[in-house]
Amino acid sequence: MVLTLYGLAAPLGGTATVAMTLAEKGIPYTFVSVDLQHGEHKQPEFRKKQPFGLVPALDDDGFVLYESRAICRYLAEKYAAQGPTLIPTELKAKALFEQAAAVEFANFEPHARAAYNEGVLKPHFNLPVDPSALNACISKLSDNLDVYEVILGKQRFLAGDEFTLADLFHVAFGTTLAEAGCDLMTSKGPNVKRWWKEVTSRPAWLSVLNNGIKTTMCADDALSEP
Amino acid sequence: MAILKLYSSSVTACTRRTATVLHELKIPFELIEVDVLSGAHKTPEFLKFQPFGQVPYIDDDGFILYESRAICRYVAAKHPRSGLIPTDPKANALFEQATSIELTNFEPSAGKAGLPFYLKKLGWRDDLTDVPANLEILDKKLDAYEAILSKQRYLAGDTLTLADLFHLPYAGFVSLGSDIMTRPNRPNVARWYNELVSRPAWLAYQDGVKTTTEY
Repeated sequence: MVLTLYGLAAPLGGTATVAMTLAEKGIPYTFVSVDLQHGEHKQPEFRKKQPFGLVPALDDDGFVLYESRAICRYLAEKYAAQGPTLIPTELKAKALFEQAAAVEFANFEPHARAAYNEGVLKPHFNLPVDPSALNACISKLSDNLDVYEVILGKQRFLAGDEFTLADLFHVAFGTTLAEAGCDLMTSKGPNVKRWWKEVTSRPAWLSVLNNGIKTTMCADDALSEP
Repeated sequence: MAILKLYSSSVTACTRRTATVLHELKIPFELIEVDVLSGAHKTPEFLKFQPFGQVPYIDDDGFILYESRAICRYVAAKHPRSGLIPTDPKANALFEQATSIELTNFEPSAGKAGLPFYLKKLGWRDDLTDVPANLEILDKKLDAYEAILSKQRYLAGDTLTLADLFHLPYAGFVSLGSDIMTRPNRPNVARWYNELVSRPAWLAYQDGVKTTTEY
């Protein structure tokens, strides 16, 4: 039976992160759009699936899972035999993967998300942007990306020389930075630039951008290039 | 084989998290104090090991690792019979859901509310400006925790996992200045919280983490 993904059909945030993982692995799925604009995610019916009232959520033949990073890990484990290996299995390689995944959430996500909220969401809702708040999160992000520049000068990806979920988790918020007026992902240094280009050029991400997040019935659909 | 070395300040939150898990697993370790108040974690020598200039990191017989949750996962993976990371595929998925819940729905607000209370207690900083707004956010998140914990004993199911233990430093720190974790309208959160903070592994380092070679 096919998986059902509940979420927001936009190339940013948790739903897009899961959609990219589904595409990486060539997994068919049904997409059900949740009407965030009208607060569907906060209703009791939806909260039965996701008690925090957030998207996305996954229903795998009655097994319901939420939190995008957990969903991606589950897909990576369940479909380990197909597509790229997104989580290493050897003890130390896996530890270095967990280190990189932790860095994403501790040192990248808060500042990238804050920049998105300040620099993209606020103008979208006609709210005044606070330039010093925006600059503060971009500045913190910049300091951390200085460290990424060092790490990525020694290895191809964040957990080692193979692409993993730790890299993938950066894509859906990292790509909104440019819209917030921040070009750090390409201007920070040659190593970050090389890594970012490689990660965002993957066919799985391009299919999310170009085909959108929608019911995808076969692997070919999931990985079709523009 | 060399004893696991934990490089950190003995009192900071992530050191407490790491030491609690080491204690749960009865892993001997040496605490090598890093004087964060004087910036020892920002020196070039330190940055060679932890390039973000943060504590803790470990040296496990030459294997260097940082990020407290990554360290905890690594040592738990070396002790699979502890059950702190379930291996059955669906149990593991629910475990990952629970660790992600802690990360995205607990730490941001519990950290910003709890850390100021803790730093005040340590005498390091007295600034509670961010606390009220973050307690408000945390309050709503804990309503969802109540819904989850009314159906199962712990966050990932009916057995204790790392996902529960990851909450400890900040759940404990928030309680230094607020009763948010033990309110009567959330009896299951209170039950779960009280169980966690009663654990010897948490109580062992109330006055700071120290080298532990025997259990």
